[in-house]
Amino acid sequence: MTVKTTWYEADSRFIPGHYQPATLIDLALSRDIDSHRLLRGTGLFHEDILAGQTRLSPQQFLQLIGNSRRLLDADDSSFLFGQRLLPGHYGAVSHALRHAQNLHQALDTLVQQQALLSPLATPRLLLDEQFAYVYWLDSCGAGEQWRFLLEASMTSLVAMSQWLSGRRLPWVCSLSHAEPRYVEQYWVHLGEDTQFKRPLDLMRIPREYLAQPWPNASATAGQVARLEAVGQIEQLGFAESFTDCLYTYLIEHVRQPPSLEQAAQAFAMSPATLKRKLQKHDTGFQQQVDRVRKQVALYLYQVKGLSNEEVADYLSFSDAANFRRSFKRWTGSTPNLIRQLFSMG
Amino acid sequence: MFSVLKPHRWKLTALLLAANLGLLLHLACGDLKAVSEWVWLDIIGEGGSALLALVWLGLVLKSRPAGRVTNYLALGLSCIFFSWWIDSLDEFIRLPDSITWDHWLESGPMPVGMILLTIGIYHWHREQLAISAQMEKRERLFREHRLFDKLTPLGSADYLKRQLADSLADSISQQQPLSLLVLDLDNFASINQHFSHAEGDAVLQALSHLLLLNLRRQDLLCRLAGDRFVVLLPNTGERQAQLLAQELQHAVHSLAHKTRQHGERLQLAASTAVVMALDETPETLLKRLNLALARAKQPLAKSA
Repeated sequence: MTVKTTWYEADSRFIPGHYQPATLIDLALSRDIDSHRLLRGTGLFHEDILAGQTRLSPQQFLQLIGNSRRLLDADDSSFLFGQRLLPGHYGAVSHALRHAQNLHQALDTLVQQQALLSPLATPRLLLDEQFAYVYWLDSCGAGEQWRFLLEASMTSLVAMSQWLSGRRLPWVCSLSHAEPRYVEQYWVHLGEDTQFKRPLDLMRIPREYLAQPWPNASATAGQVARLEAVGQIEQLGFAESFTDCLYTYLIEHVRQPPSLEQAAQAFAMSPATLKRKLQKHDTGFQQQVDRVRKQVALYLYQVKGLSNEEVADYLSFSDAANFRRSFKRWTGSTPNLIRQLFSMG
Repeated sequence: MFSVLKPHRWKLTALLLAANLGLLLHLACGDLKAVSEWVWLDIIGEGGSALLALVWLGLVLKSRPAGRVTNYLALGLSCIFFSWWIDSLDEFIRLPDSITWDHWLESGPMPVGMILLTIGIYHWHREQLAISAQMEKRERLFREHRLFDKLTPLGSADYLKRQLADSLADSISQQQPLSLLVLDLDNFASINQHFSHAEGDAVLQALSHLLLLNLRRQDLLCRLAGDRFVVLLPNTGERQAQLLAQELQHAVHSLAHKTRQHGERLQLAASTAVVMALDETPETLLKRLNLALARAKQPLAKSA
């Protein structure tokens, strides 16, 4: 008996070639890049994509991104790609975004329909009293293409909310990598206050912007489009990637992190299969556990305002010193330093 | 590749014929040396030189538009190749001592080629001066083609940073003020959305020409990123820089750019900011400039 897969993996072919990949292909073609060289190694043909029949796996899309980066050889490629991504031309789900009543609805749609709107980078939404936070997770093991994806994804959200709201919204982006040589691209496309070497790949906006009504949105068209978009996801048969499913499972059990065997059992597969699947996504079990625990710890500090001891206790560490050591391993920094980072930003 | 060489096909055919003729003459008058008699060092040295001369010829023809200067360079390199070619033939073919014309074939074309090449390079230099004059306001003292912007005929942000480091040092040593001006289009994203990204690219290209026309000879215009341009203003104080910024803003406002598809006029507007350089690194100066621009844009937040 085969286990029903309710997730997508790095080699599931489900991304329509005329959705996000076409946007990247068109960008490259507009810069006079040869379509054969662009698609080399992806196993794809431009004619098939034009015919609307091609479905790409995340791996193929990542290969296409790698080729485009190399051939375009420009610092602004990811940002130009991002500007063209949302709301996009992806059927009902794009309509749903286009007719979102406000930022909150647009973000909810983006999160729920991530498999269609942003298959390689998963956005997650968090709220506290003052701010809304969107943080991005690598959903398919992007490896060296992750920074490109992150730049594109953040730009897509900034650009879309600027277009649909009719003004530039005060997003503040913080990224975990160091300030790159081409920092001016971040200033222009993401904002002058973009911060680097932060613990998470995170975007933040004051909460009052979530509910402000957006002009030119049709409530009825939006409502119908959202229903149709749910149908689109059902037809697809999955809404999340494998690593995102594991992420959700680990979040639920973060107070008592499960072992590899327990997790494998929950996913109805052997530990060896789970290991192999994680390897395919360029990651490992402990790495995933650490990532979840780090993010929960940061969430408790920032959003819940807990103290070191309380966070250590929540994550079931025997003592605070032990927790500090682990935290240093996850983030390269001590809890107190991270606190300062937050209070500055 | 071959379309580039097409205008030169007669030159190349003539060279091929001459090289073959030389070979046939040698074969007709002399006899082949046995492999044991070959001197590998000479073969590699002389044959390699001939081969390299051929590569130079190919690169020159491929990279330059046809014309007078190209002809000089090509003829010169052809003569040099021919002479090295004949030189390497006698490594394989022994001519009887009674024959002397081979010395003429070997050494005759060399000085002629050298003279033609020298004339070519001299005119190339004159040509380069003319081109550099055309590059005024887009380039200063230093050229690196890898730092060209990919969309507009301007230098990129990396070129600007390099120039900025030099100019900052100059301004300190000469006790002269140095100012920077940044110009950013208002509402550029909506041009992309309403008229396509290709139209947005066309606007940026038009804008780069317009800005060049409105600058002084010593200024340097670079594209920082997206729709943001930076002008480096040597020997310029803040007040004068502000004046220039206003002039650029007016120029952008009066530019009647027509869309490519329907010829519709686009109403453009730009925000500007200026800063005067203090004793600081290029990075902090650029950062300060962009923050100044963000402040200047704030009241316009609706149309950013």
